[in-house]
Amino acid sequence: MPAEAPEPRQWRQILDRVASTPWIEFSVFLFPAVLFYMVFTAYPVARTFINSFFVITPLGSEYIGFENYREIIFEDWVFWKAVGNTLIWSIVGPIVDVGLGLILALVIYSGVRLGAFYRFVWFAPVLISNVVAGILWLWIYNYDWGVLNSALRAVGLGDWAMSWLGNTSTALGAVIAAHSWKWAGFDMVVCLAALYALPREVLDASELDNCGWFAKTYFVIIPMIKRTLLNLTILAFIGRMKIFDLVWVMTTGGPLWSTETVSTYVYKRAFNWSTFDLGYPSALGSLWSLVIIVVVILLTRIVSSKERLEY
Amino acid sequence: MSLLSWMTCSMRGTASVLAVAGALTAGAAHAEDITLTVWSHEADSKSKVAWRELAARNFEEAHPGVKVKITWYQKEPLFSALNTALRAGQGPDAFYIERDRVEYITNGFVTPLNDLINWSSIKPWTKDVWTIDGKTYAVPQEVWTLENFFNETRMAELGITLPDNKQLSQTEYLELVKKSVAAGISPLAAGAGDRPYPGAYMTQELLLKRLGVDDYRALLDGKISYTDPRVIEVLGYVHQLVEAGFYPKSFTTMTLAETWPYFEANPAALMLIMGSFYAGHPFTSDVPDSFKLGVMKIPALDNGVCNECKTAAVGASFAINSNSEHKELVADFLNEMATPEMGARWVKTVLLGTAVETGPIESDNPKMKAYLDEYNEANQGAKYFIGAPHQYLTGSCKEAWAQIINVALPANLISIEDTAARLDQACYRP
Repeated sequence: MPAEAPEPRQWRQILDRVASTPWIEFSVFLFPAVLFYMVFTAYPVARTFINSFFVITPLGSEYIGFENYREIIFEDWVFWKAVGNTLIWSIVGPIVDVGLGLILALVIYSGVRLGAFYRFVWFAPVLISNVVAGILWLWIYNYDWGVLNSALRAVGLGDWAMSWLGNTSTALGAVIAAHSWKWAGFDMVVCLAALYALPREVLDASELDNCGWFAKTYFVIIPMIKRTLLNLTILAFIGRMKIFDLVWVMTTGGPLWSTETVSTYVYKRAFNWSTFDLGYPSALGSLWSLVIIVVVILLTRIVSSKERLEY
Repeated sequence: MSLLSWMTCSMRGTASVLAVAGALTAGAAHAEDITLTVWSHEADSKSKVAWRELAARNFEEAHPGVKVKITWYQKEPLFSALNTALRAGQGPDAFYIERDRVEYITNGFVTPLNDLINWSSIKPWTKDVWTIDGKTYAVPQEVWTLENFFNETRMAELGITLPDNKQLSQTEYLELVKKSVAAGISPLAAGAGDRPYPGAYMTQELLLKRLGVDDYRALLDGKISYTDPRVIEVLGYVHQLVEAGFYPKSFTTMTLAETWPYFEANPAALMLIMGSFYAGHPFTSDVPDSFKLGVMKIPALDNGVCNECKTAAVGASFAINSNSEHKELVADFLNEMATPEMGARWVKTVLLGTAVETGPIESDNPKMKAYLDEYNEANQGAKYFIGAPHQYLTGSCKEAWAQIINVALPANLISIEDTAARLDQACYRP
């Protein structure tokens, strides 16, 4: 049934409301934020998208339509390698991070002795910058004197000692582990907050029902904090899709592109290829942004059918 | 007086005072007050900082009213800053540049220097390195050759005596590597953790010896395939070295800065393949008494067509920003760094090769003098190929070279066939 048009009296009310709105004051208050957004977000995004249709050098631009996109999709195998690595990281990373964070939170929630100390120690890596964390883990993984290989040699497993970041089969896992070490503490704190917010009576009731520790965790606690876990997982997923700094510090995408992510590849194409062309990297960036947006929308749709997500 | 008229009067008064003050200041200032800005790499090299700052002070003395402000960077931050500044039409009057930054030239950020620089004091071949289509774009300052350094003490421990020409055959070299590994001595200090070239040095030199200058250039230009039997032969020999334990296990993550102490420490690696720019390090750092620097040649290949060939290159150079408003003045500053006196001072204080014609220089440092004699011996009869691959290549080929020849091949992560196939995919353009 078509909506009824407002009657003349209603029109008058609408016009009165518009006329009485303090537009100037609104504009004054909104202007700084809008200006900031336009200059630092909207314009760069729009410009990057436009650039993706050109070959851009300091000497001038040449319009090439969708040629950059065609090359990326059909010819650029490094891009697809980077996509594969990024997706592995985006899927494995959140599961490891959130799982580890939940376990650490449950340990503290269980009332373990020195809980405050452990909470600080486990959260401390979050406070370290990715660059520092990267250097730290470079040392830990060092073949000759790194802690990991030294420990293996000390317990008689010297044959397992290897160049963890120098081997194509272990490099990506080694970098993911370093990243999880850094972020598990954040997930722990968020999970801990969710755990402390649980209604005590539900947990007490489960204990009265002789519910064991595992059953209580699996059937009561996890379902009740599911919304928090989903939020964390999606946040982690989005973060991993954009991962750059830790990889750059630890491996710069090597060896043999085994840790290349889309972000490191975009950077290399923009600044390390001795070409100055910004069109191709802009196309890479635009395409990947589109992928992230689509994935986020899909995840939101899937999850919000049951739970409302905010991130 | 109303508030409004008081404010008006006050503003008028302030404006008058400012105008007078401005006029006085302008009158007091030197008519030619100019500050030339220079961005330079090598912030952590005290001797180079002192040398360039001395050139700046000398220049200021000769040009009253002109100041030179040098901003010191490390390499990556310098080029990141330049990329942004030059694109924005800004940047310093002059800046440090290396030959692999050809994009600054092709994109018009650099002024041709043909008529601005006194080229008579510059070695012609170093000028040629920077000459493209008849225009010369930078003043070379530092030159280096690629050398196979070794620790004489370790070599003696292994009971190896080098032939008079300082060049082992490929079989002897392989035996040396095996003997070193068996003795528990790392054969080579090398790390590709933060540079796209140290792991490629051995391969590139062997390719040069096997192919000769012209075909090696054709290979780098993408005119010869990496599946060429001669290339495969070289890759096969490198693979044999790798299998014998030539490269350290921590090779892929070791940085250049870590490589040098790895070579000099006690116990130390046996050899280091590096540009001759390395030689300044052991003479200016604390090294163990047991460390005695020797120079040998990269091994001769059985089928090498030019076993006397080796890489020589221009390192540190300076270019003038095409947007500089003081091109002639800043060219004078670059000339100040290129006098025979400054060239000699570079060799004596920085302990590196210079692009300036200086004539024979006697080192005051006895250890350095002994090294220079050995260096000259190792370069006797050498035929030079000017420039290293990472200075030539661009785009996907540059990236493939860095990933494959610099890292994957020496780290034994890739087969010879895959090496050739991937490099062809990225580089071969017949």
